[in-house]
Amino acid sequence: MSRRAVPKANPAARSAQGAPMSSASAADSALRRGLRRPRTVIGLGIVAVCVLLGLLAPVLSAHSPLDQSFGALQSLSLAHPLGTDELGRDLLARVLYGIRVDVVVAVVAIPLGALVGCTLGMLSANNRWYGTLLQRSFDLMLAFTALIMGMLIAALIGSGTPAVILTVALVNVPLFGRITRSAVMTQLSRDYAVAAEVLGVSRSRLMLRHILPNSVDALIVQAALSFSMAVFIEGAMSFVGIGVRPPDPSLGATLKASINFLGQTPAYSIAPMVVVTLLVLGFTLISDGLNQALLKR
Amino acid sequence: MLRYALRRIPSGLLILAVASVVIFLLLRATGGDPAAVKAGSDASPDTIAAIRVALGLDLPLPVQYFRWLTGLFTGDLGYSLVTGAPLASLIGNGLQATFVLTFAASVLAVCMGLVLGIVIAVSSGAGRSVLDGLASMMLAVPTYVSGVLLILVLSVTFNVLPVGGYRPILQDPQIAMQYLAMPALCLALPAAGVLARFLATSMRQVMDEDFVRTGMAKGLSQGRLLMRHVLPNALPPVFTVLGIQIGQMLGGAIVVEAIFAWPGIGSVLANATLARDYYLIQNLLLIAVSVFIVIQIVTDLAHAALDSRVRLEQPSP
Repeated sequence: MSRRAVPKANPAARSAQGAPMSSASAADSALRRGLRRPRTVIGLGIVAVCVLLGLLAPVLSAHSPLDQSFGALQSLSLAHPLGTDELGRDLLARVLYGIRVDVVVAVVAIPLGALVGCTLGMLSANNRWYGTLLQRSFDLMLAFTALIMGMLIAALIGSGTPAVILTVALVNVPLFGRITRSAVMTQLSRDYAVAAEVLGVSRSRLMLRHILPNSVDALIVQAALSFSMAVFIEGAMSFVGIGVRPPDPSLGATLKASINFLGQTPAYSIAPMVVVTLLVLGFTLISDGLNQALLKR
Repeated sequence: MLRYALRRIPSGLLILAVASVVIFLLLRATGGDPAAVKAGSDASPDTIAAIRVALGLDLPLPVQYFRWLTGLFTGDLGYSLVTGAPLASLIGNGLQATFVLTFAASVLAVCMGLVLGIVIAVSSGAGRSVLDGLASMMLAVPTYVSGVLLILVLSVTFNVLPVGGYRPILQDPQIAMQYLAMPALCLALPAAGVLARFLATSMRQVMDEDFVRTGMAKGLSQGRLLMRHVLPNALPPVFTVLGIQIGQMLGGAIVVEAIFAWPGIGSVLANATLARDYYLIQNLLLIAVSVFIVIQIVTDLAHAALDSRVRLEQPSP
């Protein structure tokens, strides 16, 4: 039966304070193994291509996504590789700039949510009273499924990209909080942590320098899942009308508009469909691969 | 069993109570002025002030909260700020439509998930990877993508099913089913994917157990072994997942109803959010949370009924 590779507290290795050093090498090896798995690599490749397309949008498409001068619902041509929408906007530009919106939302909201969630998770693992309170709060937040939370936020601060960012961030707080809490509680029972406490290492130092690095694996898997959720949520909110405000480009909003024209220009719907699917799939593959590597111990 | 239920239900009610306070306070705190919404955009400050009194917005917050709660219990949910229609009937009709959709989707999800899960568990090699990939696709692809794809294939290309719309199922079952088929399938796919993967993992774990090996040694056919021994032991943890998935269908229903013009509670909520119809939003959010909590409790109880170890567990600190 294989045990989880516990960071071996090398008695000879001491930190500046003389406390036993726990190495983060266990976390690194699981991560490195995860990164070598075919799934993770494929996922990373897919995501990298999509993000690159979004970042290179001004280079790849000569038109602005807001320019309505090209004639409605044109079919594919060299000037408009994906045609135009019903307002005469170039679809390639709309899709590429739409990817950017997703990237921005994910890159802003997820670290925010993760930071708050991990902090709360660490607090709750350390303190019994906070622990129960935060656990129940997390349950409550998870009771609001993401889109319903999005509705609440849109009702409060108005629809638009800030609402999407806030929703994604809030959805991630309990997710990261729970994982951090259980990871920290597991680590706290390990020998090196007990030894550190006995030696007088302060709680906060213990948390930040030793325990958190060892808990990082599960957090990274969750981060990959969170990215896929962020794309999902942005698309859903924009689709329903409470997300990115028109005329700004958004994959979800483009999909919604395309439904009326499915018979005439399938390209209108197929392009955003493919992009959203690739993004979500890519992140899911990454998190799957990393998860498998974690479980293999 | 009763003792477990008595332990589980109060915490659910507590969460519900806290949720109601949170929803109420949040909408009061920042949202804006319900009186202004009701008065419309051209109203004078005097009219708005008068409406504010009429709606009881000048009363202290706890009193307003209490009035809302008592209204919930007596069935008086107030009136729409935008249309003036009684909210109870608006919400009632929406709930009906969403219930039909979610019920159909749940049944589909369970059937598809069960079948796919069992097939994945017993297959191996390349076939297994393919099926596993299929399940992953089902759960990863967002509903608004699969919905549009379904419309593209089934309505536009092959003209088998109507694009969108609704018929009450009791009125005209045959036609109602036609309208129900695609939305229910669309809503069911992600849940089916999750269930299939979960069941496959659970079954694989059970198949590794000693008693299964004993059964094989005794000469039981694979079919009988699977159905009578492996499956019943593999199912209990899947129930919890099922509960969560059905809960998430509520969120998914919002999108699916938007795609297929299904007049359920999701559409009502979406319109209310855009129109800032505060009382409607308030009631709907509370209903959504309570339904989710009820589903969670029911599945927990079902899980406990099937697995006595859950019942006898001490409550966590």
